[in-house]
Amino acid sequence: MRIRQRIGKMKNSKKMFILIEAALAMAVIILAVIMFLGNNVNDRERVSVIVQNSDDSQWAAFKYGLKMAAEDQKIEMFVVGTEGAMSAEDEKNVIEQEIDNGADALIIQPAAGEDTEEMLKDISQRIPVLLVESETLGDKESPEIPVIQADNYSMGRTLAEELLKEYDGNLEGKTIGIAVETEALEATRSRREGFMDGLEESGADVRWSVSGAFGQGRKSLEAQPTVDLVVALDDRSLTAAGEAAAKNDLHGALVYGIGNSSEAVYYLDIGVAECLVVPDEFSVGYQSLTRLAENLRRFFKSAEGSTVTHTVIRKENLFTEENQEIIYTMSQ
Amino acid sequence: MKDKYIARLEKLKPEGIQSTLMIAFSVISISIMMVIGIVMYMWFSMSTRQEVVHTSRTMMEQTGENLEDYLIRMRQISDVAYYNVVKENDFSGQSEKIQEGMNLLYEANRDNLRSIVIYNNYGSLLAAEPIVSQKEDPNVTKQEWFIQAMDEMENMHFSTPHIQNLFDDGTQRYYWVISLSRVVELTNRGESQLGVLLVDMDYSGISQMMTQINSTSSGQYYYLCDSSGKIIYHPKQIQISDGIISENNKVAAQWDDNVYDEYFGGEHRKVIVNTVSYTGWKLVGVIPYSTFTHGMADLRYFIIILILLMVMMLMVINRVISVRISRPILRLNDSVVEYEAGEKPSIYIGGSQEIRHLGYSIQKSYEQIDLLMKEIVWEQNERRKSELEALQSQINPHFLYNALESITWMVEGEKNDEAVFMISQLAKLFRISLSKGRTVITVRDELQHAESYMNIQKIRYKNAFSVTFDVDPAVYSYCTVKLILQPILENAINYGVSGLDDSGEIKITGKLEGERIILAVEDNGIGMPKEEADLLLTDSQRVQKKGSGVGLVNVKNRIQILFGKAYGLVIESEPDEGTTVFVHLPAVPYTEENRTILEQGRAIFAEEENENKTKNRKDEKQ
Repeated sequence: MRIRQRIGKMKNSKKMFILIEAALAMAVIILAVIMFLGNNVNDRERVSVIVQNSDDSQWAAFKYGLKMAAEDQKIEMFVVGTEGAMSAEDEKNVIEQEIDNGADALIIQPAAGEDTEEMLKDISQRIPVLLVESETLGDKESPEIPVIQADNYSMGRTLAEELLKEYDGNLEGKTIGIAVETEALEATRSRREGFMDGLEESGADVRWSVSGAFGQGRKSLEAQPTVDLVVALDDRSLTAAGEAAAKNDLHGALVYGIGNSSEAVYYLDIGVAECLVVPDEFSVGYQSLTRLAENLRRFFKSAEGSTVTHTVIRKENLFTEENQEIIYTMSQ
Repeated sequence: MKDKYIARLEKLKPEGIQSTLMIAFSVISISIMMVIGIVMYMWFSMSTRQEVVHTSRTMMEQTGENLEDYLIRMRQISDVAYYNVVKENDFSGQSEKIQEGMNLLYEANRDNLRSIVIYNNYGSLLAAEPIVSQKEDPNVTKQEWFIQAMDEMENMHFSTPHIQNLFDDGTQRYYWVISLSRVVELTNRGESQLGVLLVDMDYSGISQMMTQINSTSSGQYYYLCDSSGKIIYHPKQIQISDGIISENNKVAAQWDDNVYDEYFGGEHRKVIVNTVSYTGWKLVGVIPYSTFTHGMADLRYFIIILILLMVMMLMVINRVISVRISRPILRLNDSVVEYEAGEKPSIYIGGSQEIRHLGYSIQKSYEQIDLLMKEIVWEQNERRKSELEALQSQINPHFLYNALESITWMVEGEKNDEAVFMISQLAKLFRISLSKGRTVITVRDELQHAESYMNIQKIRYKNAFSVTFDVDPAVYSYCTVKLILQPILENAINYGVSGLDDSGEIKITGKLEGERIILAVEDNGIGMPKEEADLLLTDSQRVQKKGSGVGLVNVKNRIQILFGKAYGLVIESEPDEGTTVFVHLPAVPYTEENRTILEQGRAIFAEEENENKTKNRKDEKQ
């Protein structure tokens, strides 16, 4: 009996030995695999950024923010080259193309139009999508896709307040023309709403409002009747207005506006524009990519939208240290 | 609770020698491997750390030198513009010459220069290169570089990077420059007046240098700040000013050139400070500790894998060694276990000298045990057999018949007294023969028995021989095996004196000799040759021709079974002279205790066996 027990024990110890050796071998293999995989860090997430007219200088700060965030987050970021205004259909094509190219997430400036929302909702079911600059037109109550943008309403309102400050709160008898790039964007609508709310009971007379592709912007502005003040609610219309004013085609109208390109600053600098409200585009870019990166890396965490700050710049404070920095991001 | 754990630990204790060895080896080797691994890792990480710091330092020194070169070149430009262009010429008359000189300078260094400008002390533009239109009201006197220059006229001043706010070149762009400004003495319409010479360097010249050293992706970075800690270049400049991240630049600017350890922003980091001469700018390299560990991850894995492999190998080696050491012991143990289980394998002998010796010892002791077992069995058999025989001899029908016939004769011949004597002798004889079933009796009883027997025999043989007892009374109270004299006497009568007519003599003596009792039966009979006498004690197969049939061999065996081989019978005989049979017994006083011991077995005998053995061993050794 005892011998049998002992033989059993010996067999046990042999089994144990083989088991331990096998476990060690497994550990070695697992570690080697981990080591090998760890060295292949080429599989960085890729985020595609789709904005309209991507080479335009108004995106400089935004792109700089994206670039910085990409470095900080160690993520691959690609700004898709686009030209001109895109319809929802065009945008969809670009998005599809990017998804085919292996984008893990998208940062999209929604195209103008009513049908954009539906299209983007579809896309966001497939991969993480973050909107910048503007919400889509539609039901405001349930923003399904997170947006990172400036507080558009507040910017419009700030602009109105700056105007009122200039005229001591009395705009009685002043005529105002409003220029926007497109009416079919939630952002533009909010800005206009904020602006109009700000001007309530000021006695100002908003004589006209134009929108459209400002490739020929100058001309379309020139064609408008003479007003005392031209208010441009986005960068493209502001530069168009600035350009027109610089050539004295606005019949002496003063230009106010919202803008974020170095051109806009330039017009302020040379005295063509009176006041500029500048959204923090660097933050829009930086935050959007950071949020998306976190979203991609953490399960069950969806990116949240947020608003960024904006700054009022006038000629007097154009070269303060803080504003120099804003200009710095625009000049990248 | 504690006891429970201890008990559990005790249970874990390995039982086999092999597992003990294996575990001991493994624990030792694994701990050694661990220590080696940790030391190796620490050593490697230390040297890597030093290497990283060293590389960074070298790189920073290089960049610092480049920066210095760059700044020196700017200063040289400023010097040349001042001493060769401004000082030499009058602004009213020789403005073309001045412009030409400045143009030459600008063209030679246009890669790094944004502009060279001269203002008078009121801030109006005197000359500029390249020639572009000045902004409407740049407010020159309010600008930082102008104020600095005017504050400390004897020095040159490097500004921090800022937007150049002087000219409008129509590109709608803003340029980042670092301004080098100084107060100059200039001549205008023959009059000497003060002015400010401004050399605006392109910021990109410096930022490129910095970007270049910041291109490593391993986590360390370098930034440049002025002596008050204001950032000139930082790879995350905007994030810092937006408050997304923070930098310890204000503190670092206070430090001298060296390597520092600091804890900032929730992590430990090494900070290398390098001062750029003349400007007082600090080039700061920051290496977060995570950079080291990042590079060390692979090494860590590698070392762990190495250790694991070594452990695997060591375990194999340990196993081989432990098996080799323990195998002979195990095999020895196996054979012993098998032996104990009742099988009779040969005891394993092998392995090292100690184990072989152990094997030999065990084997020998087992052999001896076997031998002893056999002897015991033999003795038991013998004892039973001889006692039966002895008993049988007492109720030898022939003897009884003879005795009873003698009594009958006596009664018939009306020799009543003799008949009574005869019967009483017979009674004594049987009383002692039976002795309540005892084997050991006193010498006195044995002699009494012999006497009774001889008395009966004498009557039967009609006093054909004489019997004398000459026994030292000192021997009476010692032990003896019962019924040992009777067979000897029977022999003496049958073979010794029966053939002699009336002259037969049988003499029974007893004496104490040292530790021995020697009883002797001496007859003057026919005797025998020595060879025959020897045979009497060895040949148990001898057929008794006469008498009870109880041979002397039987007597000898019974004595030896009880008292040991040292005792027994000695026969001395001469043909025609007579025979003497000596009975040797140990002098054991007759007590109840001794009797019991002797009857139960071999106490004395065993002791003697042992003595003999030790003696033998001593002999062997000698």
